[in-house]
Amino acid sequence: MYQPKDTSSYSFVFNRGYCTLYNLFIRNWKIMSESVVNILNLNVRFKDKIVLDHLSWNIVRGQNWVLNGISGSGKTTLAQLIETPKGIDGTITYNFDKNSPLPRQVLYVSNWYHFRNLEGDANFYYQQRYNRKQARDTLTVSGDFQVFGKEKNLDIADADRIIDALGYRELLDSQLIELSSGEHKKLQLIKALWLKPQLLILDQPYAGLDVASRKNLNTLLEELSSIGSQYILITNDSSVPNNVHMYAQIIDGKLVAADTNNHHHEILHELEPLPEFLTEKPVYHADQVVKMIDMNIHYGEKQVLNHINWEVKAGEKWLLQGHNGSGKSTLLSLVCADHPQSYVDGLFLFGKQRGSGESIWDIKEKIGLISPELHWYFDPAATVFTSIASGFYDSIGLFKQLPYSQTVKVREIIAFLNLKDVQHELLNTLPLGKQRLALLARAIIKNPELLILDEPCQGLDNDQTQYFNKFVDKLCANGTTLIYVGHYESALPSCLEKRILLDKGHVVKIETIQ
Amino acid sequence: MANYFNSLPLREQLNQLGVCEFMDIAEFADGVAALKGKKIVIVGAGAQGLNQGLNLRDSGLDISYALRQEAIDNKRDSWKNATDNNFKVGTFEELIPGADVVVNLTPDKQHTAVVTKIMPLMKKNSTLLYSHGFNIVEEGMQIRKDITVIMVAPKCPGSEVRAEYLRGFGVPTLIAVHPENDPEGKGLEQAKAYCVGTGGHRAGVLRSSFVAEVKSDLMGEQTILCGLLQTGSILSFDKMLEKGIDPGYASKLVQYGVEVITEALKHGGVSGMMDRLSNPAKIAAFKISEELKTIMRPLFQKHQDDIMSGEFSSTMMKDWANGDANLLKWRAETGETAFEKTPAGDVKIGEQEYFDNYTLMVAFIRAGVELAFETMVEAGIKAESAYYESLHETPLIANTIARKKLFEMNRVISDTAEYGCYLFDQACKPLLAGFMKTVDTDLVGKNFNEGKSGSVDNAELVHINAILRDHPVEVVGRKLRKAMTAMKSIKTA
Repeated sequence: MYQPKDTSSYSFVFNRGYCTLYNLFIRNWKIMSESVVNILNLNVRFKDKIVLDHLSWNIVRGQNWVLNGISGSGKTTLAQLIETPKGIDGTITYNFDKNSPLPRQVLYVSNWYHFRNLEGDANFYYQQRYNRKQARDTLTVSGDFQVFGKEKNLDIADADRIIDALGYRELLDSQLIELSSGEHKKLQLIKALWLKPQLLILDQPYAGLDVASRKNLNTLLEELSSIGSQYILITNDSSVPNNVHMYAQIIDGKLVAADTNNHHHEILHELEPLPEFLTEKPVYHADQVVKMIDMNIHYGEKQVLNHINWEVKAGEKWLLQGHNGSGKSTLLSLVCADHPQSYVDGLFLFGKQRGSGESIWDIKEKIGLISPELHWYFDPAATVFTSIASGFYDSIGLFKQLPYSQTVKVREIIAFLNLKDVQHELLNTLPLGKQRLALLARAIIKNPELLILDEPCQGLDNDQTQYFNKFVDKLCANGTTLIYVGHYESALPSCLEKRILLDKGHVVKIETIQ
Repeated sequence: MANYFNSLPLREQLNQLGVCEFMDIAEFADGVAALKGKKIVIVGAGAQGLNQGLNLRDSGLDISYALRQEAIDNKRDSWKNATDNNFKVGTFEELIPGADVVVNLTPDKQHTAVVTKIMPLMKKNSTLLYSHGFNIVEEGMQIRKDITVIMVAPKCPGSEVRAEYLRGFGVPTLIAVHPENDPEGKGLEQAKAYCVGTGGHRAGVLRSSFVAEVKSDLMGEQTILCGLLQTGSILSFDKMLEKGIDPGYASKLVQYGVEVITEALKHGGVSGMMDRLSNPAKIAAFKISEELKTIMRPLFQKHQDDIMSGEFSSTMMKDWANGDANLLKWRAETGETAFEKTPAGDVKIGEQEYFDNYTLMVAFIRAGVELAFETMVEAGIKAESAYYESLHETPLIANTIARKKLFEMNRVISDTAEYGCYLFDQACKPLLAGFMKTVDTDLVGKNFNEGKSGSVDNAELVHINAILRDHPVEVVGRKLRKAMTAMKSIKTA
């Protein structure tokens, strides 16, 4: 969080030759008096690539913006620099309202959030939250709120409404480690809305939120701007709050006005024919891929899944839906052999009773998985190539020498998904859209029997989402079994044929999709 | 019970100390087959017990937990750990008689009591598995002759054992078979299968013996791993305070410095760590560490001698019998040191700054790692074993100091290690008093390079680099680290 020392006007001026302090002063005197943040000639390069190119942006007080456009255009980079203008090439001038009681600061809520344990360590691992251990080393949600409230001098009572609006009350006693990625996101949103900074920037605020929470978030944002705060949303979603004033995109490193979120600027290349090895029908080990008979999962007193009965047959295409916290991730963790409580009667995977001598790797080799959590905890040392290759072994990162036949497949899929130019880059340095594509490639590289796509399009733009779902349709035409999690009806593959709906850990509906 | 090692003839002592073979991954091709379908009962559900059990079950093995009746009745943490993860839990009487393998993962101090209790319940031709050989080697516990006795010791904390497994990797592991208890010759196959079940086979496995494991483990933890890190941290902090460095800064530099510095050790060995210094600082650190080696060598030798003769363990067991009087007293004293009581300041220290402003710790670590390694090898321990118990574990222990200072280190390590650590610390501080008088803030607290020209003599630098790189701990380290390249780096503050 960036808090300028002198809040009336605080500039970072870097000599660009032509852009002297004097020039700047004259040109912007007028604008600065009414803007909250004024950006002039901001340049950012990443290695050889120009990300922002003399970008200028005047954010007038009271104006709410939506920043949209293609993945990788520099939106997140820009937002981070507005919050913390460290070592920048260019000028960012802040002019907060001195008369407002709201904190004179820019708060940026990132797309994803790294929480820490009580020792300040962020070294957690994939699916750690399902391993029950009595030694508690992360804060509870309410403990986290208390620390934040104390630090920022906030009244805990003010948070109550926000907590309710985003459906968070039930999570107050949960430990941070137990939260899902969507729930971590909400935690950040609640804190931001509670703090009410003069300028709030939310990066992909809707990612992972269910439909109701998303509506409530919009209402809260509308209220926020009515009391003197303002926001910038980085999103490609079209159902944004009613009081958005301006739309913009970053194109070729410059800020360009846009009309609404319904844009089509990137020419969608038609899908190439699939690599040969992905068109073959997967080899099924059993007709019944998943069977749950009266499955229950509880954490201490808290029941997370209640009497679940569900059957997935080979080749079926399922849509799994439910509110945040309805138990979707837990249900999938049972299927993916990631949950220690799956060693019970009543769970059958690929025709075998769970806990009958199989290892989790025997199960994982039949599944291709992409999920926010897998992505979150993925090996930071993995490149695009090694990430995809690790799909052959279901490991998070590649620890083996890859045989030639598999190297060839990785190369084919890299070419197919247009990832060739970034294949040796570290996965986590790429734009989110590319990372997701690479992880999808990882999921399908072994042509699995069962493909689990848990919110695969989180953070993708509209075009990427369409492209992605078309790809899924094509892929699954070979008879792959699919379980797909997605909140929004508009952004689903068309091959889905059955739906299971969860609510508070219960199956409330199983139906055929028309 | 008599000390097992001391009961052996010299020939057999040397023979067992010399068991040391870095195993090829191909030796694990049989996977968990040797334990498939066998009933494995773990005694103890702490960090190692729980996490090893989770991994083994996820590898398709049949795992349950035997707990004491009180732990079950009072729903202690160990009971909750096991039942919340859907493990079968029962009393010793209920589970041990049916067990094919009993895994003893209780603290050292309880071994004699636990083993004495479970041995009569164990069925004929079953297996008893340890993860540390103290009970067998130092206490001389005699196990019934039909029972196979093996050891599988993951060389990382329990949480890492789990985290690495779920990534599809593992942690470096040491395995051994007790030669007195391998009646059917199945010990090694079972130890290998158990190792595969925890994921250890992917990260490098060292075949050792109970004797080699105990004698090297004790030596490592008492000297370089815990003892010297404690002494070095306290002396460095006190020196900075004496010289007027801000206490908050000093506290942070010491608390996190060992972790950042030893992270370099993990990746590139001693020479990799020394390479992080500027050339003049490296030459200074080299000279100081030579001096430190000369001063501390007799102390390292004394520790090794006391470990070999059994003097150390008998002294410590007397303290056990005395209700841990000394251990508790020394623990309290450590809690009272100025370093422990000064919280880390809210200052940003960059990664390179930890090297530039803490050259003294780099010198301490080089001296300690090389001394521990040299002393172990001179005592008949093989280079690979000595590497694991000196250089390899140093970053893991340093990580605990970064979390909550010496308190945390001494909490995480075993009581045996903690006891030895205090012994070393008490002897080492007076030994270094004269040396510390020569130390100024350029070595600890301020940037060594400040106000210096940065130029060095080529020949001297080449000479020093060669000495660093050719040290036997570096030669064996380069080979072993190749097998662990995929190990996750520890995040630093």
